[in-house]
Amino acid sequence: MTMAQTSSSGNGRGRPLKRFQWLIEPYLYLSPAIILIALVMLVPLVVGVSYAFQAIDLLDPFTTGWVGLANFEKLWADRLFWKALTNTFWWTLGSLFFQFFLGLGLALLLNKPFAGRGLVQGLVFLPWAVPAFLSGLNWAWLFNPIIGPIPHWLAAMGIMEKPQNILANPDLALWGPIVANIWFGIPFFAITLLAALQSIPRDLYEAAAIDGASLWQSFIKITVPFLAPTIAITVMLRTIWIANFADLIYIMTGGGPANSTHIISSYIFTTAFRRLDFGYASTLAIALLVLLLAYAMLILKMRKHLVKGI
Amino acid sequence: MTAITLNSINKRFGPVHVLKDISLEFNKGEFVVLVGPSGCGKSTLLRMIAGLEPVSAGDMIFGDTRVNDLEPRDRDIAMVFQSYALYPHMDVERNLGFSLELRKRAAAEKKERTSHAAGILGLDKLLDRFPRALSGGQRQRVAMGRAIVRDPQIFLFDEPLSNLDAALRIEMRIEIAKLHRRLGTTMVYVTHDQVEAMTLADRIVVMNAGQVEQVGTPLDLYSNPANLFVAGFLGSPKMNFVAYDDPALNLPSALTNPSAQTYGIRPEHIKVTAPDKNAHLVGTIDVVERLGSDTIFYINHGADKPFVVRVPGIDRTAIGEKIGCQFQPEDLHLFDQDGQAISEHKNG
Repeated sequence: MTMAQTSSSGNGRGRPLKRFQWLIEPYLYLSPAIILIALVMLVPLVVGVSYAFQAIDLLDPFTTGWVGLANFEKLWADRLFWKALTNTFWWTLGSLFFQFFLGLGLALLLNKPFAGRGLVQGLVFLPWAVPAFLSGLNWAWLFNPIIGPIPHWLAAMGIMEKPQNILANPDLALWGPIVANIWFGIPFFAITLLAALQSIPRDLYEAAAIDGASLWQSFIKITVPFLAPTIAITVMLRTIWIANFADLIYIMTGGGPANSTHIISSYIFTTAFRRLDFGYASTLAIALLVLLLAYAMLILKMRKHLVKGI
Repeated sequence: MTAITLNSINKRFGPVHVLKDISLEFNKGEFVVLVGPSGCGKSTLLRMIAGLEPVSAGDMIFGDTRVNDLEPRDRDIAMVFQSYALYPHMDVERNLGFSLELRKRAAAEKKERTSHAAGILGLDKLLDRFPRALSGGQRQRVAMGRAIVRDPQIFLFDEPLSNLDAALRIEMRIEIAKLHRRLGTTMVYVTHDQVEAMTLADRIVVMNAGQVEQVGTPLDLYSNPANLFVAGFLGSPKMNFVAYDDPALNLPSALTNPSAQTYGIRPEHIKVTAPDKNAHLVGTIDVVERLGSDTIFYINHGADKPFVVRVPGIDRTAIGEKIGCQFQPEDLHLFDQDGQAISEHKNG
C-alpha cells in the first residue's frame, strides 16, 4: 500500500517533464540537420529577400537603408523588365518545346535495338557533358558569318538574303541562344524518357498488338500514359532550369543587341554584377521566384492527376 | 474442319534452330495442349501462331488462309499471357473492352460485350477497379475476359496458370475447361504442367528440344507412349525404367523381348508381394511417402534410381523392409535401343 502510494506520487511529479522530453526528443535528433539547412538555405534566402526592400547600389554608396516598396515600384515601371519577361517566356517555351519533342523522338529511336546502340547512347549524352560556357562560345562562332558556316547555309537555302549574324539582329538574336539551348538540352530528355520507355513491359505491346492496336494506337494508349508522370516531372524541372539558365545568353549575346535578348535571370545577373545594384537585382529575383513557384504548383497538381492510373 | 495447319514450321534465332519441321493440324473447336520441358520451343510456337514471332520457314495456315505475313491483329486470335499483360492504367472495364475501343465500336456494343464477358467470369463487381487492386486470380480472369470479349476464332494461352498458387490453379483450370465447353472455340494452350495437359486437353502435343515427340489424346499418350521421353514426361510419379539386364529383374521368359533394352512400368500398375521367386522385382524400401489416399514406396533394387511403387490407401510397410513387386504383362512398356516403344507390345 505504502509502496504503491510513493511510486504513484513519484510518477506524478515526473510526468510533465517526461512529456516535455518526449516532445522535444525527436527535434533534438533532427537539430543538426535543421540547423545546417537553416544556415545554408534559409539565412541566405531571408537576407536576399531583405535586399529587395533596401537600397544597395555599390555605385551609389551614400544612399542606403530601407526603402520599403520603392524597388517594386521601379520594377513595375521598368520597360526592360517587361521585355525580359516576354523574352523569358519565348526562351523557355521555344527551348523546351524543341528539346522535348526532339528528345522524345531520339528516345524512341534509341529504344529500338540496333548494332552499336550502347555507343550511340553514350554519344547522345555528350552535349550535356560540355560546359555551357564552351557550347555558348561554339554556337556564337557557328552563327558568325566570318568564321561559322550556319549563315552561309541559311543564305544558300534562301532562308536568309545574305550571310548575316542573327545574333546581331535585335529581332532574331534570341533564337541564337535558343538553338544552342535546344542542342544542349535534348540529351536530358532523350535519356530520361529512354529510361521510362525501357520500364514499360514488352508484353503490354504484344497484348495491344493482338487486341488490334496499330503502332500509333499503341503509342497513344500505352506509351504516352506510361511516360506521362516522367514527362510531367522532367518538363517541370527543365522549365525551371531553363528559365533560370542565363549562361548561354550571357555568353552569346550578353543580353544585347540593345538589351533585346535579356531574360529575367540574365537581367538579374547584369543588374547585380555589372551595374552592382543588388537591391534591384534582388527585387527582380523575387519576381522570378514567384512566377516559378506558381508554375511548379500548377505542374505538381497536374502530375498528381496524371499518376493516378499507374 | 481444320482450324490451324502447321506445315513444316521452322524457327531460327540467329544460329540457334529452335523449332525443327513442326507439322500439326488442329481441328476446329479442339482444345490442344502443347506440353514439354522449359526450353522445348512450345511458347515460341504459340507466339508464332499469334504472329508475335515471324516464321523462319514453313507455312502457317488458319482455315484456308496462309497467315505467315499477317499482323497479329489481322489473325482473329486472342491470347492470355503468363504475366496477364493487363493495362495498368486502365480499369477492368476498359481493359476488357480495349480491343473494341481500338476498333472504334459503339459504346453500347462495348458495354454489352464487356458485361457479357464479366458475367461469365464473375467480374461484375470489379469493373471499376484497376489491375493493381486485384488478386492474382482476379487478374487472371480479367485476362481471360479480355479474350472472351474479342470473340476470336482461336484462343491462345501461354502458361496462364503458372503464377497462381496451387489451390487457385486447380480452380482456374476447371474454369478454363468450362469456358471451352461453353464457347466451343479452338484453343491452343501451352504449359509445362502435365496435370493441366492431361485434364484440359482434347489432344496433347508433347514437345522436346524443338521437335514433336508425340500427338494424341491424353489417355492414348498415357497408355501408349511412343518413346521413353513421352513415357517419362506424362504420369506422376514418373514411369519406372529398368534396364533389360538389371539383376534385380526376374521376368518370366514369356514377358521378355530380345530387342527390348528398357522396360517401363508405371508406379500405379505395381502390386506389392512377398519377396519370393514369384516377384518380378525385389528390393528394400528406402523412403515412404504416405499421402492418405496413396502410399508411395521408393525401392532400392541396386540401380541408380529408386523403383517407385504407388499403392492405393494406407500401407504400413516400413522403411528397410524387403518387398517384391509384381505387374501385369499388359502394363509393361518395352523400348528398343533408340528409346522407341516396341509396338507389338503396345496393347495397353
